[in-house]
Amino acid sequence: MFRFAAISALALTVASSAYAESFRWAGTTDPQTMDPHAVNSAPVLGFLNNVYEGLVRRGKDMAVQPALATAWEPIGEGEGWRFTLRQGVKFHDGSDFTAEDVLFSYERASSEASDTRSWFAPVSGVNVVDDYTVDILTSAPNPLFPSSIANWMIMDKGWTEANNAARPDKENGNYATLNVNGTGAFMLKDRQPGLTTTLAPFAGWWDEAEHNITEATFTPIDNPATSVAALLSGDVDMINPVPIQDAARVDERDGTKVIRGVEARVIMLGFGHEADTLKYGAMAGKPNPFQDVRVREAVAKAINVDAILKTIMRGSAESVSQLVTPAMSGYSDANADRPAYDVEGAKALLAEAGYADGFSFGLKCPNNRYLNDEAVCQAVTGMLARVGITAELEAMPVQNYWPELRADNFDMYLLGWSPGTFDHEHPVRFLVSTPNAEKKLGSWNFGGFSDARVDELLPMIQSEIDAEKRQGMVDEVTAIYQNAHAYVPMYVQPLVWGTRDNIALTQRPDNFFILRWVTVN
Amino acid sequence: MLSYIIRRVFQSVLVLLIVGLVAFAMFTFIGDPIDNMLGQERTQEDVERLRERLGLDQPFVVQYVKFIISAAQGNFGVSYEQGRPVADILAERAPATLELAAVSGLFALSLGIVLGVFTAIRRNGFAANLIMGTSLIGVSLPTFLIGILLIYVFSVELDWLPSFGRGETVQIGGWTTGFLTGSGLRALILPAITLGLYQMTLIMRLVRSEMLEVLRQDYVRFARARGLSERAVTFRHALKNTMVPVITVTGLQLGSIIAFAIITETVFQWPGVGLLFINAVQFVDIPVMAAYLMLISLMFVAINLAVDLLYVAIDPRLRT
Repeated sequence: MFRFAAISALALTVASSAYAESFRWAGTTDPQTMDPHAVNSAPVLGFLNNVYEGLVRRGKDMAVQPALATAWEPIGEGEGWRFTLRQGVKFHDGSDFTAEDVLFSYERASSEASDTRSWFAPVSGVNVVDDYTVDILTSAPNPLFPSSIANWMIMDKGWTEANNAARPDKENGNYATLNVNGTGAFMLKDRQPGLTTTLAPFAGWWDEAEHNITEATFTPIDNPATSVAALLSGDVDMINPVPIQDAARVDERDGTKVIRGVEARVIMLGFGHEADTLKYGAMAGKPNPFQDVRVREAVAKAINVDAILKTIMRGSAESVSQLVTPAMSGYSDANADRPAYDVEGAKALLAEAGYADGFSFGLKCPNNRYLNDEAVCQAVTGMLARVGITAELEAMPVQNYWPELRADNFDMYLLGWSPGTFDHEHPVRFLVSTPNAEKKLGSWNFGGFSDARVDELLPMIQSEIDAEKRQGMVDEVTAIYQNAHAYVPMYVQPLVWGTRDNIALTQRPDNFFILRWVTVN
Repeated sequence: MLSYIIRRVFQSVLVLLIVGLVAFAMFTFIGDPIDNMLGQERTQEDVERLRERLGLDQPFVVQYVKFIISAAQGNFGVSYEQGRPVADILAERAPATLELAAVSGLFALSLGIVLGVFTAIRRNGFAANLIMGTSLIGVSLPTFLIGILLIYVFSVELDWLPSFGRGETVQIGGWTTGFLTGSGLRALILPAITLGLYQMTLIMRLVRSEMLEVLRQDYVRFARARGLSERAVTFRHALKNTMVPVITVTGLQLGSIIAFAIITETVFQWPGVGLLFINAVQFVDIPVMAAYLMLISLMFVAINLAVDLLYVAIDPRLRT
């Protein structure tokens, strides 16, 4: 037995030296498709950022940089944007990148079958001026447009049409679901859906390579204990995420380290604003106390965010006062204060609102969506109990959770929001605007918060070119939703990645793993 | 005879249909795939349109009947998650599960018999008692704990074996095999032990008790009296006669090795159908879940049917 083990150990060292220049990483979710226009989800777009590129891209600090476009400027008085394209860019199959590909990718990404078409709602048309100039026209002035399309990836018209993939097909799949022909730093070498995906550097890439990877393999590992073991045993070089409770162990061990950061995702509590009565708990059917702003403020004061961060997040997260983090555009310090933790103050507010004896209600919470989400809800329940209100916590898997929220089955709920555009306008549009299916507003505003002034300001924010004026309006909206305690923003979710000691990489707040910033030492 | 077979086949089909119905009834509780399929920026309209297109707005009985009709034509539908035919995905994943099941079955059978015989003939020896004692672990520890324990000892601390996956595989026609590469074989060791440990202890205890029974028989005593070597007595005469129940149990256990590979596959990220099923549950990938459950129940029903028919062949009283 021992001789056998010694032999296999020897064989392993021989085998692993052959992998020295390759890089292996693991995450929880496999990108479900290789088609950049089929699914608008972080695992897909994050992964495809390594193989496809947009006209613009985001740098290490999330700032917008030129990518396939070298420059862009507004047309006239805000009728749209003119993009000057980079010359000499090749797709992985060797064909040239031109304006036709941009037009084609616009048509494809904004088509009925595409999940990304909401990005193009402000766009009224795309004109090819010449081979390397494209005009993208917008129906109203749209200062944020260039930064809102960093994930709009350009596909090769010829390749896509030749392979009958001119439109994305999410339900039945097509050639582009499994194959890639992008302009990005890496090419798809092998794709086994749900198992492994292998990338190789693209020799003809237009930009200078920062990385030293010769081959990169991604494996989805679902079980957190397995992925930690895979990192500790050296079977993978990087995992995302490291369970918070394992982070210290990974850090202390020789050969591995933890890289911490904060994600763009704000975790908050939401209320049923529209519901006239409570739906859960002993007082179901009674008038809904959360319609009273004093009660909502009491909740905000009752929650000791610092304690949650210290115990449940083990110090990895940061508290937050708004629906965006300071790293996002549209954030300003004008509304940086969050309600102080104040049990007596909360009790006084409840007494003033007529709830001196407290009340009970239902708190809905996911248990597999955000880091330690159920534990956070349990802590919230405990903290609310200290001011005399009883939350009946019901935690459930996320696949059951969203249908419950959509059906308004909650009195209070937990929500995390990561703004896709990295701008404050995004959460205002989705979470604070009065729900309006026709205008596609407030689609995640489950509680039905509504404020006429916010609804009035949002279109103005969307089209204001002057940065200072725009920030003034954003600050006004922020003050409105803060004073109304429409939500109780608690903290920014931490990013906890684990790597081998010899890996250098950059962690971006959108939790995208960008392979071209990885070096193996 | 013929009517008996027809009746049994008919009952088996009925069982299959009921399993499918129960499965579809349960799918209504495990959530909604829509939010996994649409991004953050979906509208209510998108949600409703997709529900309608997938037929999720219909009662589960209607969904089930549709599934059965197309499944009967060999079409298991398209995976919600991967956008590919479920039949293709299952065919891709099946070799991993079958190879793992074969190796762990072999491991359980061979080691189970050897240890069973050993503990029977050295009934009161220290080693035999130790083996019997530790075998309790195999029966009582949950599979995922054994798996994680093995990973931590042999992958993380000793760094002898890979912690997850199947290693390198070789493609032979439509079949991928891990038997032909060093890393593939090494990757098999820990999952096969994890999956087979319970069956191994089961077989060991079965062989031991059967052996103890047989060793008391007169013909063993006569064999000894004839002056045959202890080895010949044990292996040629005693062991052979313990094999009938062992083979029956092993055959029946093979089904559960395949079906219960789910946990082992999850712990080791083993790319088989069990892992596929777990991922499908998380994504609410109804076509994949339905096809997997139907195939597993088909397997169990087929094994049971085969056993029943074998009894008929063996026992003349049933042939009326």
